[in-house]
Amino acid sequence: MAWRNLWRRKRRTWITIATIVFGVWLSMTFTGIGDYSYTNMIDTGANLGFGHVTIQPAGYHDEPKISKLISELPEIKNNILEYSEKNHSAIDSTADRVLANGVLATASKQIFGFFVGVDPAQESKQRNIYYKSMIEGDWLESTNERKVVIGKGIAELLNLKIGKKLIYTTTDIDGEIVSEVARVKGIFRTGVKEIDNASIILPIDTLKETLKFKESQITLMALFLNDQRKSSAVAQDIETLLNSKVEVKSWDQTQAELASLITLDRGGNILTQMLIGLLVAAGILNTLLMSVMERLKEFGVMMAIGMLPSNLFLLVMIESFFLAMLGLFFGIMVCIPWYIYMANVGLDFSAMVGDEMSAGGVLIDPLMKIRLYLSSIVIIALSVPGLTLLAGLYPAYKAVKTEPVESIRGL
Amino acid sequence: MATDNVGNIIETKSLYKIYTRGNASVNAVDNVDLTIKKGEFSALCGPSGSGKTTLLNLISALDSPTDGEIWFEGQLLSGLSRTQLSRLRRDRIGFVFQSFNLVPVLSAYENVELVLSLQGVPPKTRHDIVMPLLSSLGLEGLEHAKPAALSGGQQQRVAVARAIAHNPAIVMADEPTANLDSKSAGNLLDYMEKLNAEKNITFLFSTHDQKVMDRARRVITLVDGRISGEIFKNAESQP
Repeated sequence: MAWRNLWRRKRRTWITIATIVFGVWLSMTFTGIGDYSYTNMIDTGANLGFGHVTIQPAGYHDEPKISKLISELPEIKNNILEYSEKNHSAIDSTADRVLANGVLATASKQIFGFFVGVDPAQESKQRNIYYKSMIEGDWLESTNERKVVIGKGIAELLNLKIGKKLIYTTTDIDGEIVSEVARVKGIFRTGVKEIDNASIILPIDTLKETLKFKESQITLMALFLNDQRKSSAVAQDIETLLNSKVEVKSWDQTQAELASLITLDRGGNILTQMLIGLLVAAGILNTLLMSVMERLKEFGVMMAIGMLPSNLFLLVMIESFFLAMLGLFFGIMVCIPWYIYMANVGLDFSAMVGDEMSAGGVLIDPLMKIRLYLSSIVIIALSVPGLTLLAGLYPAYKAVKTEPVESIRGL
Repeated sequence: MATDNVGNIIETKSLYKIYTRGNASVNAVDNVDLTIKKGEFSALCGPSGSGKTTLLNLISALDSPTDGEIWFEGQLLSGLSRTQLSRLRRDRIGFVFQSFNLVPVLSAYENVELVLSLQGVPPKTRHDIVMPLLSSLGLEGLEHAKPAALSGGQQQRVAVARAIAHNPAIVMADEPTANLDSKSAGNLLDYMEKLNAEKNITFLFSTHDQKVMDRARRVITLVDGRISGEIFKNAESQP
């Protein structure tokens, strides 16, 4: 009976279904943009050097110093390998890093520089923003060559070109000032001014030698995860596992500014979705209420002949449920092609915002794409019928409150 | 507490229904003592506003009195909850309304089986009850027709079938012939008389249709909410 009741006024039912479809589409799009862009920003932030999870010397986070370093590298690597084997889907890759600050100079100019020592064998374009952003020359090949990759800003400030010499000066772990010469092998441009104007990538052993690090010493180890959402859990697991002088931080701790920005944006997104949900629910409530109000006499008759109030409540709720299921079904039908397009092609806003929009020190991709995590799909699939059923509660209550004698008066 | 009067389906004692609007109050039902026995074929009659429908609603457990008692098969209605009253109507009372009031999205068959399905009667049993009933009311072949496709007379017969399908103690019929032409009204009353005679189903009408009054074996006249007179057409129906 509930199914047939739904089709008494076909146009109204289709309008309600269209409202639900619109709600599903909006929810999917907003959630998809969030899932994609947050993951993208977090991954980009991780690829700047610290990974999704960072293993670093105790106290390094609060006060980074060249003298603070990890000395038990082999032991840590063994532990990570063991953890990775047990949780094979968690960790994608690891990368050793040596970090230092210093001065970059040519014959005529000098500027501040942030040194990142990397092992080229551990780096990939997917996991290293500098590698990915190469615009000239080549990426590093060995761990001990006397060549560097510099940001576009540095190249411009120091008037450097591929093959030219660069002097970098820093302080080693003994506090001695040390200088080395290297040739520029490649130039990158991330689009983030602070990075392009100061970052210089060096072969890890070359930098270690300069800083007088032993072979087993590094500044930090970056862990890249397959799913950034597991960062906190993995960080906690590894901290427990290592149980030593090192500290293990997840990306939201190493990049607090980015984490705050995402939290703020996510909050706004949730609020927007709640408001949209409220509007959609109000539309559904209105339709269901109209449908109930025009059937009050009929409900009165049904209650007069013995339909229990609970049966009547159930009848209206089943109508709401059918509406929700139809809305969800057609919503999914509409969303599938939209999702495929947006996940693979996306909308390019670079003409409006340019290529170099950044937030929290991370470059924002002007190509808007969407991606949905399974958990988000489950939430949408549950919240849409949930909202529809919630909207059905008041009309169902109104139906139950029908007084048969009032309704049938004059019949 | 049950009454002593075995065989009484309905018994009212000092029944009042007073409507108040502003300072004015109207006694729609005024101190009515009425007893309806099993197998009666009775009519409540009287001019418009005399309280027929209000009294019918009260003894049908659709409305509650301002004062007085209503006993239904020995059970005091005022002691029952809303759900218990719904169950009582579902299981023990059949209703026929002036405007038929069939559920428009259901077929004739489904309308008749509605109360049975509300009672939880299995589909096979429902089928065994509904089909012969429709047939006995001359509705064979119209099982799948929706109410909109039926004539007024046919709709009212479906309503009668719905009212008696679950074998109620009494059928309350409020102006059942008001929207029917003379021939259809006559046929409907024939069916009801037949059901009363063959199945001993009790009928109580609220009407000002002379045809119904002529057929009823007991006619109770209401004026200003009070019983002003009663006519028993044979000795068997006397209380």
